[in-house]
Amino acid sequence: MIEYIVMLIGILGSILALAQRDLLKAAILTGISGGCIAILFQILLAPDVALTQAIVGAAILPVFLALAIYKTQRVDKDD
Amino acid sequence: MNELIPLMVIIPITAAIILNALGGKNSAVKTLSFVVAIVLPLIPIISNYGFHYFGGHSPLIDNGNLLSSLPSFISNGSLSTFHIGISYSFEGLQKILLFFLFIVGFLAIFTTINERKRISGQYMFLMFMGLGSVTAMLLSDDIFHMYIFFEIAIISQVGIILSSNDEQKYETAMKYMILGSIGGPILLTGIGFLLALVGSVNITDITYVIKNGIIDPYSPVFLFSFGLIFFGWIYSVGLPPFHTIKSAVYSKATPSGSALLQALSVVIFISFGLAILRIYSHLPFVHEVIIFFSLAGMILSITMALIETDLRRIIGFLAVGELGYIGLGFGIGTNLSITAALFQGLNELIITALLFIGFGVILQLTKTSDITKLGGLIEDNPKISIMVLLGGFAMAGVPPLNGFQSKLMLIQSALKANFPELAIIMILVSIVTFMTFIKIFHAAYLKPKPNNLTVEKSLVPRSTIFAVGVLLIICIVLGLIPDLVVKEFSVFVGGLI
Amino acid sequence: MIDTQLAALLCSGSFILIGLYAAIFLDNIIKKIIGLSFIEEGANLFLITLAYKADGIVPIFLPGMSPDWFMANSAYPLPHALVLTSIVIGACTLAVTLAIAMVLYKKHGSLSASKILGDNHE
Repeated sequence: MIEYIVMLIGILGSILALAQRDLLKAAILTGISGGCIAILFQILLAPDVALTQAIVGAAILPVFLALAIYKTQRVDKDD
Repeated sequence: MNELIPLMVIIPITAAIILNALGGKNSAVKTLSFVVAIVLPLIPIISNYGFHYFGGHSPLIDNGNLLSSLPSFISNGSLSTFHIGISYSFEGLQKILLFFLFIVGFLAIFTTINERKRISGQYMFLMFMGLGSVTAMLLSDDIFHMYIFFEIAIISQVGIILSSNDEQKYETAMKYMILGSIGGPILLTGIGFLLALVGSVNITDITYVIKNGIIDPYSPVFLFSFGLIFFGWIYSVGLPPFHTIKSAVYSKATPSGSALLQALSVVIFISFGLAILRIYSHLPFVHEVIIFFSLAGMILSITMALIETDLRRIIGFLAVGELGYIGLGFGIGTNLSITAALFQGLNELIITALLFIGFGVILQLTKTSDITKLGGLIEDNPKISIMVLLGGFAMAGVPPLNGFQSKLMLIQSALKANFPELAIIMILVSIVTFMTFIKIFHAAYLKPKPNNLTVEKSLVPRSTIFAVGVLLIICIVLGLIPDLVVKEFSVFVGGLI
Repeated sequence: MIDTQLAALLCSGSFILIGLYAAIFLDNIIKKIIGLSFIEEGANLFLITLAYKADGIVPIFLPGMSPDWFMANSAYPLPHALVLTSIVIGACTLAVTLAIAMVLYKKHGSLSASKILGDNHE
């Protein structure tokens, strides 16, 4: 049962991330869907990949995005 | 000496990492990159033909002791012929293509070292990384391995664009990167479908499985994987609809950078194209699809080249259009046509490097590449202009240069395979190429010099003349004695099909 | 209830589609890049899903297992090895793209793709 909930959260997180006007929130939501994918990897019998994905997808990518947003602009004006 | 095969990939990548660490130490970077660049072409020459299995993981069938200890459904079934690890195969095609690739790489690196007073280790890192990654793509028998090095090649190509001083370079790099980040995962998904069907990513295994009827080659999954991998291929080589971005990429880099970029593209084209031919050639529509996209690429690029006025854009479009010839040869799909296509690829690698480096001199001396503002440069550097003229003749297919030999072979193969219309189109496109080339040559060198054109009085660097000269000599030698390479290619193609 | 593998396949497909939509239609460059990372993650999830085996075990051979039982029950480990490489490559491309986006912002003062990439002669 838990895997369906995780999938749903992951997809919802990605859609919400793209719908945000505040880009910093979008970066954090990207981390949530990355983390959900890491949990899915664990459920799908790939624990070693899940570790890498948890670090890269849930921590490193959002930090990269947040750094880029910090150096540019925070609000998506032209939407 | 089969141990040398992986060294062709390991040496450039190691050199790249060391050069990156050296950073700004000028003389050390220059010495190291020169030494490595001059050693590289020697390795394919002294290496023997053969296979290299990483980690010693040869197929089980070669390993009698281990095979007899395994259960019978492995030792008797097709599993025993599968390749367990990554394997590199080094044959005639790889030997010749890698030799000339490394020669072009050496000349690009050599001219860069001599042109610039200060040279950064990072730029050399990108050049060597690009060379190493396409070498791995050409040698590898493993389609996932090819994908990984394809991604690395894209990143180094973007880096090479960014290190020029063109104004629009960031925009072009961004577009190329976005398209690349879409094309890469799509290619990966296609590989995933193949993996789901076969259980292996080794191309030899996949062809074995298809030939022996273990999987259904007309299943939708297989067709879908063809679509996805084909998309990745046309993106990576700049067939339409990606021809504009590809030619923009060439025109934004420095001259020696674009020579290397085009060499990388040609090798990526050939290695992915051969993989597609080996896996999918039994599907009925594959050849038609390849021919369609190649024709579209040739015709669209040549039309764009006719209407452009920027010198580097024109050469970029001509270079992309020439790639269509290789695609046509692959698409016709007979032994002769594939051999001709490989020969054409080799020629193109050399000729476009010549043209990019040769026309780069104009940019260096006049700081403009708009052909309406140029003129009369033949007084300033007659040597280079004659050599560039001969290079252009080679590209358009004027005898006795190498472009003529390969195009003649392509046209013959099209006629033999009952595609006379393709032969006619090839001749027409090559006439238009000739015309376009004469137009830019006239505009840059022959027509009277405009009054407001300032030409720097500095001498053309000897290294540039040397590079163009060496490439021209290769053109003439291959044109006079094509059998030097064609024999090896036809042996390779004979083993392929 | 559909089985886990099919659901995960659908999930990976929707990730790729959402990412493609974002990369093609959204105007903000940062959002385009987020979309690209979704495509990458969807492709990785697809590969991992192929290796899944219902009611199977993690492909680690422990002492005491018989090889036949292990072969019949473990997930397929090859895609795991492939995806590890692919995740790292994806992170690298994303970092390079973000760096270029930051330079472009400094030059144009905007993150809108139509302003930055649109009006130059391509």
